[in-house]
Amino acid sequence: MRKKTFTRALMLAIGISFAGSSLAAGDAAAGKWKALTCLGCHGIPSYTNAYPTYNVPRLGGQHAKYLVSALQAYQNGQRNHPTMRAQASNLNDQDMQDIAAFFENEK
Amino acid sequence: MKNTFALLILSMGCIGLNGQALAVGDAAAGKEKAAQVCASCHGAEGNSTDPQYPRLAGQYASYLVQALREYKEGDRKNPIMLGFASGLSEADIENLAAWFASQPGGLTTPVLLRRAVPE
Repeated sequence: MRKKTFTRALMLAIGISFAGSSLAAGDAAAGKWKALTCLGCHGIPSYTNAYPTYNVPRLGGQHAKYLVSALQAYQNGQRNHPTMRAQASNLNDQDMQDIAAFFENEK
Repeated sequence: MKNTFALLILSMGCIGLNGQALAVGDAAAGKEKAAQVCASCHGAEGNSTDPQYPRLAGQYASYLVQALREYKEGDRKNPIMLGFASGLSEADIENLAAWFASQPGGLTTPVLLRRAVPE
C-alpha cells in the first residue's frame, strides 16, 4: 500500500515536472488572446508612434525568441519606450512566450 | 487661367509634402553597408535564421531608423547593437533602413485586423 502510494506520488511528480518544462514553449492560441492589447497598435497597418513620429513595428513573422527578449528589455528598462514599458510590466514569462508564439505564427 | 494657377500651386504643395514624407535613404547603398555590418547576424536581406536576432526584411523604414538611433545613443541598452550602431552615420542609418524595409519574405501586420484595414 505504502509502495503504491509512493509510486503514484513519484509519477505525479514526474508528470508535474514535464508539465513545467512544456510551459517554457509559447502557446500561440493562448497568445492570441493575450495579444489583443498589442494589436491596438501593432495590428493596424502603418500606425505611428506619436512622438517622435515613426511606424510602430511589424511583428507578424518575427522570431519568438527575439520578441521575448525585446519584451524583457522593456520590462527591465533596457528599452525605455513608456507605453511598452507599461505593457511589458504586466506580463509574466509565460505571457511573453505565448504572445511571442502568436506573432511568430502570423506570417 | 486662375484655375490653372491654383492647380499649379496645389501641385507644388503636393510635391513638397511628398518630398518631406519620403525623406528616404538609398537602398543600394544600404545593401552594401548591410553586407559589411549587419548580414552576419540579420542575413544580407534581413531574413535572419538565428531566432535570437530579429528579422528586418519588410520592417518599416522609420522604425528601423528609430531603433538604430536608440542603439547608437544608448537609449536601448544592448552592447552588441551599440557596437555596430556607433559606427553608423545618419546617412548609413537611413540607407540601411531603406534596404531592409524593401526586402521581401519578412514581416507582416497580424491578420486579425489586417483584413479590415487596407495596408
